[in-house]
Amino acid sequence: MNFNDVKNKDIKTACEESLSLAKASQAKLNAVVSFVEVEQQVKELSNKNANSPLFGVPIVLKDNVSTKGILTSASSRILSNYIPIYDATITKKLKEAGAIVIAKSSMDELGMGGTNLNAYTGKVNNPYDVNRISGGSSGGSAALVAQGVVPFAIGTDTGDSVRKPASYCGIVGVKPTYGRISRYGIIPYASSLDHVGYFTTNVSDASSALEVLAGRDDLDMTSSNQEVQAYSKLLDSNVAGKKIAILVNVQEAIEDTTITNSFNHIMNTLKEKGAIVEEVRMNDDYMKALLPTYYVLSNAEATANHSNLDGVRFGVREEGADLVEIMINSRTKGFSSDVRKRFVIGSYSLHVDNQEKLYKKAQKVRRVIVDELKTIMNKYDVIVASSSGTIAPLPNQKCGEDLSVSHLVAENHMLLGNFSGFPSMSLPQVMVNKMPVGISVMAKAFDEVNMFNIAKAIEEITGLENIVVGGDE
Amino acid sequence: MEKFSKEYFRYLANQIMFDLSDQEIEELQEDFKTLTKQMELLDKIDTSNVDEMIYPFEEDTVYLREDVVNHEITQEEALQNAPLVKNKMIVVPKVVK
Amino acid sequence: MNFETVIGIEIHCELKTNTKMFSGAAVDFASEPNTNTNEIDLGMPGILPSVNKEAVASALRTCYALECEIDPLIKFDRKNYYYSDLPKGFQITQQFYPIGSHGKIQIETELGKKEIRINRIHMEEDTAKQLHQIEGSFINFNRAGTPLIEIVTEPDMSNAKEAIAYVEKVRNMLYYLNVSDCKMEEGSMRCDINISLRPYGYPELGVKSEIKNLNSVSNVQKSIEFEIERQSKILLSGGQVEQATRRFDEASRSTVLMRKKEGAVDYKYFPEPNIFPIRLDANWIEKIKNTLPELPSERKSTYTQYGLSDYDADILVQTKEVSDFYNEVVTHTKEYKLVANWVIVEMMAFLNKNNIDIHKNPLSPQYLAIMVEMIQAKEISGKQAKIVFEEMMNGKDPRKVVEEKGMKQLSDTSAILTLIQSVLDANPQSIEDFKNGKDRAVGFLVGQVMKASKGQANPAMTNKMLVEELKKR
Repeated sequence: MNFNDVKNKDIKTACEESLSLAKASQAKLNAVVSFVEVEQQVKELSNKNANSPLFGVPIVLKDNVSTKGILTSASSRILSNYIPIYDATITKKLKEAGAIVIAKSSMDELGMGGTNLNAYTGKVNNPYDVNRISGGSSGGSAALVAQGVVPFAIGTDTGDSVRKPASYCGIVGVKPTYGRISRYGIIPYASSLDHVGYFTTNVSDASSALEVLAGRDDLDMTSSNQEVQAYSKLLDSNVAGKKIAILVNVQEAIEDTTITNSFNHIMNTLKEKGAIVEEVRMNDDYMKALLPTYYVLSNAEATANHSNLDGVRFGVREEGADLVEIMINSRTKGFSSDVRKRFVIGSYSLHVDNQEKLYKKAQKVRRVIVDELKTIMNKYDVIVASSSGTIAPLPNQKCGEDLSVSHLVAENHMLLGNFSGFPSMSLPQVMVNKMPVGISVMAKAFDEVNMFNIAKAIEEITGLENIVVGGDE
Repeated sequence: MEKFSKEYFRYLANQIMFDLSDQEIEELQEDFKTLTKQMELLDKIDTSNVDEMIYPFEEDTVYLREDVVNHEITQEEALQNAPLVKNKMIVVPKVVK
Repeated sequence: MNFETVIGIEIHCELKTNTKMFSGAAVDFASEPNTNTNEIDLGMPGILPSVNKEAVASALRTCYALECEIDPLIKFDRKNYYYSDLPKGFQITQQFYPIGSHGKIQIETELGKKEIRINRIHMEEDTAKQLHQIEGSFINFNRAGTPLIEIVTEPDMSNAKEAIAYVEKVRNMLYYLNVSDCKMEEGSMRCDINISLRPYGYPELGVKSEIKNLNSVSNVQKSIEFEIERQSKILLSGGQVEQATRRFDEASRSTVLMRKKEGAVDYKYFPEPNIFPIRLDANWIEKIKNTLPELPSERKSTYTQYGLSDYDADILVQTKEVSDFYNEVVTHTKEYKLVANWVIVEMMAFLNKNNIDIHKNPLSPQYLAIMVEMIQAKEISGKQAKIVFEEMMNGKDPRKVVEEKGMKQLSDTSAILTLIQSVLDANPQSIEDFKNGKDRAVGFLVGQVMKASKGQANPAMTNKMLVEELKKR
């Protein structure tokens, strides 16, 4: 489903259909935490901006986006009864734009994961093959867009949590520049790496959606004052003279030749269309250090960010004889094993004895990596690579912490966008055995125009536009 | 306390207010083996004379919020998610600091 | 053996801003529990801080008053710990880059002036207020997030008197700066004392105790005195003081162990990722510097230039409202000393005796100026002035009082002379006594003249003229 499909229908009918589809898909995908009734929202449309690209469009929000009066659990047991008393800034913006929220979607608990296996409501299934994972942490949102339930869903991206599930689910996933979209009201993971992102089924919808979401918000001091551009008007697939860098470290680490061949085909076509396509290489040691650096930084920040989840003011409180017992019991039962283990890593790297050699070391490595990336980025309009070296894995496939190059580099290179804050997106590159794999496009800070434009050119080459699974099998 | 002992992991967990089961600790001990190897990848990178990178962008900002009351919620809203409320206050078992 | 005491002090002071340090909710200590909060103060999921401009201005004023070096690049850090009064599970503070450092302040000691060095001044946020009852701890979040500054000295004080002098001096200064209420009894200003002993002449510092959260000057004194005694006993008996945090117990007038150093909390400090460094505008800083309210030391030097004694000047500046009142009076008259006497002696006594708050002082500065001028012009006597003063305290115009009571002092020499002649004529015995060297006679005769003038004769003039007339007879 795309934005235009909706424009041609009666809004109420379209939104109700979408909600029904979401409900129908639940058995297959298990992607929804809460369904949201549409009637009242449709009634309130009269005073909304009818010119907005999202006017009357049914949408899904990841369950870490605060919605006043609607459960926002971040797929964690400790928040499984938490009803926000305020709206996130993007919730307000989307409402103002006339978007109709039909559901809150499942995610890896508190965003901490890349599989969507670790959600309080259970794992989310890939719409193309329910035995496979959707990817995470924004797996619920990705699955619902890929299934054709909604043409737009919000996700968040700390490592590659929008782009990776987009790749696995065959849709467009955008993570704009850090500070481009306000994070106020988003339940965080790691603040210096967290981005709000979103899913669509084509690049054009992606470019117009950012016009709604982007902009300075005084409630988020890290949000940018840079002018929001007319991305959709500026959308232009002419690549003549555009400088495109292929990140060869990634392509070399990919074993699947269907993926590398299709990638090369795309690059050759771009060249034929007048683009200047060159190979660039990051220091291999830097590429291998991406994941460990991310692990240290993200878990450390997460440990502090989630210290507010203590059962005192909100959330599920477990009994205890005194405050310490209450906190310990609430947090022990409130977080899954997986999350607690990650917190231990965070606690360890922030520990006064370890900070210098872990937390601060990782921050320094982040700078070294970003400095090199900037040097390359300055010479090109975009850097491209396949989003993933494989199709969506099976749940029991090891996709964790092994030390192989294919894992460290091919599966984690999109962290570059989080480290640097540069805008980065994934769009479908190729189908491998009827399973999608994405291609990623990264641009300079606040240069979303070039990112969208080159993505548009790639989309025209692949023809993988508006592809959804549909039906409810 | 021996590093990566059961006791050590329990201490790290208790520092941030939760417990771990024995099984979780065993899993962590495994995870830390991988983690330690991964940390070696960090150590390979020379960071002498490099400052920590704390934020994605490092241009200074200038904004400060004007000191005007413009953001308040009602008492009801403040308390509505609280597990235990008495006399319009959130209550926890008595703590002596 | 005698020991030298070494004391350093940390003062925490709540700022008198309209809103919280990091949110736009009101700061108001008088309101109903949990009515001055928002999601930020409650540490709800997804919130982000935004820095209060006025709090920064107040911190800057304090830095200037304490002659600190100012860091115009504002940065914040997280101090992580878990407690029911700390909603986020961390406090946002300035651990690594305080706004002010290397300052100083002069105090008066028995041995003359002494300079106390200020190590740092930093901004942070206050915790919630807890009411500890038998049924549990009741938490009121109105105070949560109130802006605080912390002022930390070097270990430059050597006894309780100096510590008190320092605390009072800083408190008075902050009050003049109008940055805080400085009400220790209400908790808007709290002190932590670091105290250690060492043998005289010994270069290294001894092991210190930190006494937390002292809420009155008298408790500062008592806790220091107790701690000196406790530590010297330990040292004299050959023991070692254990580094520890203690609190002052009012009931037993002693300090009580809270936690030993080994049990010290690992606060896992790290830079706050949600607040980018803020560059303060140079013009704004300059404006704050140039519009700094007049400090007590500056007022004192003005007063001594007026010819007041050090003692009187000190008394006037001790209470800002008294000093403000004095300044108002002397805009109407140049009788600086006479005004000081009336303010310090009569006005203060009246307010004290009638238990009137200085803020509700009924005395009009302009009326006091008029009365003082009348005294100086010898229109009324000092004795009459006291009666006028009592009436002025009821809001009456001194000119009216004088007129109504027929008090105008007789300063017409010929009229006084007529009275003197008739009194002398009626009292030959007294003239005889005077000639025989009995000075008492003068007093008697002056009294008779005053009586004849119904108290309106100018006593000084009467005395002088009477002696002259006596000598003529």
